[in-house]
Amino acid sequence: MARITLDPVTRIEGHLRIDVEVNGGTVTNAWSSAQMWRGIETILQGRPPEDAWIYAQRFCGVCTTVHAISSIRSVEHALKVEVPLNAQYIRNMIMAQHSVQDHIVHFYHLSALDWVDVVSALKADPKKTAQLAQSISDWSGNSETEFRAVQSKLKAFVETGRLGIFSSGYWGHPAMKLPPEANLMAVAHYLKALDYQRRAAQVGAILGGKNPHIQNLCVGGVATAVNMENLATINMERIAALRTLMEETRDFVQKVYYPDMLAIASAYKEWFKYGKGVVNYLAVPEMPEDTKNTKFALPGGIIANGDIKGARIISNHQDEALIGNIKENVAHAWYEGENSLHPWEGETTPKYTDFQDNGKYSWCKAPRLDGKAVQVGPPAQLFAAYAGGNQKVKKLVDDSCAKIGIGVGDLHSTMGRLGARAIRAHLMADYSLEYLDKLVENVARGDKTYANHTEIPKGEYRGVGFHEAPRGTLSHWIVIKDKKIKNYQAVVPSTWNASPRDEKGVMGPYEASLMGNPVADSEKPLEVLRTIHSFDPCIACAVHTIDPQGKEITKIKVL
Amino acid sequence: MKTLIFGAGNLLLSDEGFGVHFINYLQQNYRFPEGVELYDGGTLGIMVTHMLEDADHVYLVDVIEAEGEPGDIYRYEKDDFMLGRLPIKMSPHQIGIQEVLALSELRDRCPKKISLFGVIPQSYEAGVELTQLLSKKLPDLAELVVAELRADGYCVETI
Repeated sequence: MARITLDPVTRIEGHLRIDVEVNGGTVTNAWSSAQMWRGIETILQGRPPEDAWIYAQRFCGVCTTVHAISSIRSVEHALKVEVPLNAQYIRNMIMAQHSVQDHIVHFYHLSALDWVDVVSALKADPKKTAQLAQSISDWSGNSETEFRAVQSKLKAFVETGRLGIFSSGYWGHPAMKLPPEANLMAVAHYLKALDYQRRAAQVGAILGGKNPHIQNLCVGGVATAVNMENLATINMERIAALRTLMEETRDFVQKVYYPDMLAIASAYKEWFKYGKGVVNYLAVPEMPEDTKNTKFALPGGIIANGDIKGARIISNHQDEALIGNIKENVAHAWYEGENSLHPWEGETTPKYTDFQDNGKYSWCKAPRLDGKAVQVGPPAQLFAAYAGGNQKVKKLVDDSCAKIGIGVGDLHSTMGRLGARAIRAHLMADYSLEYLDKLVENVARGDKTYANHTEIPKGEYRGVGFHEAPRGTLSHWIVIKDKKIKNYQAVVPSTWNASPRDEKGVMGPYEASLMGNPVADSEKPLEVLRTIHSFDPCIACAVHTIDPQGKEITKIKVL
Repeated sequence: MKTLIFGAGNLLLSDEGFGVHFINYLQQNYRFPEGVELYDGGTLGIMVTHMLEDADHVYLVDVIEAEGEPGDIYRYEKDDFMLGRLPIKMSPHQIGIQEVLALSELRDRCPKKISLFGVIPQSYEAGVELTQLLSKKLPDLAELVVAELRADGYCVETI
């Protein structure tokens, strides 16, 4: 038996350590351990609730806006504040474009190199690469000239020995299967993708005032206003700029990312068999279309044992059964006690021990819904919307599965998570433009309300702000007492997925998904990375592989 | 010509936020002309590549993990990045800054000059203030950067 530890050491948004035991080339046990105490919620205690979102968006370096949105919603929920339609549409666009940006970067820059061999791209025929690319998409950037230029640049880089600087892949690993032309196509798109994640970021900056940290939220709405004639607001010119940016990102997502994803999925079909793990899912409704957060474009849902058809649909953010049934267990986490506490009662009292296989081993708490481990993320959202009868989702999921030659049930897998993310990006690119149209129409109808001004009253109030973020269900839980924050807890998507075992010994989604994974070469555990990366963990960082004696055997750069 | 001063860091973890505090310090104490941009990049890596690519000269301010005393500030130049001469665990936000720059190079968009000022932190405790030790470093580093900007011909006014 071999034990492999993947440990990133120093990161702010990630600090994940994965341990696996491998027997006869197969993973037989797994542990997921967050390596840094995330006690930053305590910073919020005693501060004014209306400022919480400004601090909350600094929780994480990658997904800033999602914490801002969840935080502001928690206060609005606590005080039962309605959010004007204009504000909902503006927030929806910010969320949708953030998703597009996040998914593009995850696919190309954080996970593609698990499947794409950069060195093999040097052997490709640029002409055949162009033929391949043009056979799957009519995107204008797929010319022979383009591929030839990328290849010669890459060649020059490799010849001067500089590939090592950004080498992160296991080039030449036996599990790499794409032909050279597909590799060259993917490398070219990997370089191009940066231009499009940028456009999505620009949308956030125009609507939110600043990127990466938006400035335009307020309890009860947004501080952004639309006035076609006024230069100081979102005017005609900016609306046109938003439309162009969102159309360009849509084209990239739908004509480059999505077809690339289908091509990779088709080439690595066996990866629909691995990485299933926990098949209980949770997604919350997203893209509100009324002022009370009761009508949403995408329903949420709870799925038990992979039974998509039997999903319990969640149609609004006031679902008492959902709000009441989330608890966090610390039996295997480095906190005082063994108990499961509701986030409003949540405590964050550290109690560090060593890494104990059968005891405490992670800074991540174990969130449980109705006592069960659940997986969150794009598959959960798609399954819930599929079961909830969203025709757009149903058609896109069915079409994608047909093109790859799999069934919907195959999406409970490593490749399924990657595919679901591409489908979600496809959807979000369309929703972005839809909400721009809705905003313009609503403003044209004479609605000039962007915020319901809210005074924080005296007394005690509790609220939860749900948001279906790129990595899955996010919730911020606030207790307000006499105009100050009394308690604040964030249950983030990666907490659900990276969760350690609970008091019953039930594994979290990362851990469970690794069981049964193949590992061809324990010094190069590429397959472990593939499955962990499929969740889009917030670990955009350098990962080191060490053996149990602590000797470094392989350096793995994950970005 | 465009110069970008990029502050990286997590504002909620005391000294971790040094780069962001540095940007705030500059904004409060100096007036910069067109052509100099101050940017609070938080802890994003690859998602802000375009900010770097838009500039000719980049000053990057971040915390680093290196041998030395808390408060020590080290300087690295473009070749240190491009030739991989930096310590691997240089910064928690490295998010592969070397990889990001290599990518930019492959895209023909790499800034001509990049200077990293890396400070060794004293504390990563939760908190929105710098430790006194690092707080005292802000004016010195600001003077150094401003002097270089002035030498490059930028008219930077002290407020």
